[in-house]
Amino acid sequence: MIGTSIALIRDTFREALARKIFWGMFGLSALMILFFLFLLKIDIVEGGLAAVSLFGRTANPTADVDRLVRGVYGGIATFLYTWGMFLAVFASAGLIPSVLEPGRIELLLSKPVSRTHILLGRYVGNVMVVAANVTFLVLGVWTILGVKTGIWSPAFLISIATTVFVFAVLLSVVVFIGVLFESAALSTMVTVALMIMSPILAQTSTMLKLLSSEWSRQIWRTLYYTLPKVYDLGKMTLAAIQDRTFEGYMPIWTSALFGAVVLAGALWIFSRRDF
Amino acid sequence: MDGISLNVPRGTIFGLLGPNGAGKTTFVKSLLSAVHPTSGSALLFGRDARDPEARRPIGYLPENHRFPTYFTGAGMLDFYAALSGMESTQRKKLIPELLDLVGLDKWGDMRLGKYSKGMLQRVGLAQALIHSPSMLILDEPTDGVDPVGRRQIREILTRFEEKGVTIFINSHLLVEVEMFCREVAILHKGKVALSGKMHDLTAGKGYRLTVAHAPPAVIEELRAKATSMASREDLIDFQFSTRELVNEAVDLLRAQRCDIEALAPTTSTLEEVFVRTVEK
Repeated sequence: MIGTSIALIRDTFREALARKIFWGMFGLSALMILFFLFLLKIDIVEGGLAAVSLFGRTANPTADVDRLVRGVYGGIATFLYTWGMFLAVFASAGLIPSVLEPGRIELLLSKPVSRTHILLGRYVGNVMVVAANVTFLVLGVWTILGVKTGIWSPAFLISIATTVFVFAVLLSVVVFIGVLFESAALSTMVTVALMIMSPILAQTSTMLKLLSSEWSRQIWRTLYYTLPKVYDLGKMTLAAIQDRTFEGYMPIWTSALFGAVVLAGALWIFSRRDF
Repeated sequence: MDGISLNVPRGTIFGLLGPNGAGKTTFVKSLLSAVHPTSGSALLFGRDARDPEARRPIGYLPENHRFPTYFTGAGMLDFYAALSGMESTQRKKLIPELLDLVGLDKWGDMRLGKYSKGMLQRVGLAQALIHSPSMLILDEPTDGVDPVGRRQIREILTRFEEKGVTIFINSHLLVEVEMFCREVAILHKGKVALSGKMHDLTAGKGYRLTVAHAPPAVIEELRAKATSMASREDLIDFQFSTRELVNEAVDLLRAQRCDIEALAPTTSTLEEVFVRTVEK
């Protein structure tokens, strides 16, 4: 059981790395780490930021070190939630249809492995590939800024968990569409549409005042509470990084519920399909 | 498929034949639970085929397989062996042996994207064999393989037959099937149209007379007596059902001073049996 799971996860890693886009993501992360390592030079005097130099030019900011570091963390987290997430979804979309290709799926199904195990192995492998990338970037930046500034804020590390969590939720949609239609393009389109809808749906209080009929308000509420809350989770992460408070954990558990239901649906369809 | 029931004795090489769309691949896929039957059930070694454990003693090579090209030959064997439940140490020991068995020992570290069709077929066979299955299900196992490779595959399969492995082959290559299957079934329109031991099915006796450069009138006269006629290059083969008829044909050819290329007793070929069965 464990050996089979490891084989399925390793296979997903192999396939992901065979796709250039994952190397692109690692390359981008490495570039950001190198940027902080070599180009951003920070001088600290008695806990205050004395000078920041970039590309050889030096500025003397009045901001304190803590604000600067939290600002950088916020920027990285925002990058991960927008472009990073989009890249991860785009890169992952092909990993499900590829395994369902005729001539490949029959061979997998002929092995003493359940269909649920095969699909979950792929899903977990895919989450782990992205988790490795996010961890590489966040830990790299955190370590470099920690060494350069002496500030070791563990709050930034929360963005590893939240980014991977949001990706895992979105990946359930990729898997569902992939199993149903075997189309990487459609999987990407639907998932990105959910990401784009998230900040719009998050304006619930404003929209509920603006909408004229009760039924339209009800539809809005249903969509907001049902669909994954990428935007709210991003806001929560930023708040945690910048030591601000946030309102409740509803976005976490509703998104988790959405992901679980959609993934269960994908497993159900996969277990009944003929190949 | 409609009410298919086949008896495949343990340790034999069994051929499943049929025209396109007869249901051969669907039958195999329903055994492997890749296709769900609308009614009825499939059992493998007494277990429900839907139970993944039922597939543990099975080695399978699908038709038109698509192995991921990012694998090396050895990597691919390692992956599928792991899915079959083999331990890492066992895999490390057996992979070189299997690559050697199928003649790819020097190619194990090369990516599958660079393999020829025949090499892919052979590494696919190694994949089906690696976990020492009790039953092999092979869909067109010699497809794309050159004659030397085909002979090698036949020899490997014969060796596994001797070890008591049941080998189930789907193939369009009737000559191949006739050469090394002990039993055969022909599927037609989703049903078993014919099944039995190879030597029983191909036991139709007769004589084949091969003639060169015969005038049209003689050919017409021979065609009237023969059960079948087939042209190839400058030669014509006539099939006669009795010794008397073939003697009459020989007398006619000698009287007309025609060249007789060959005369030999025959049994029915599998191809003839197949064509007769599906054209009924």
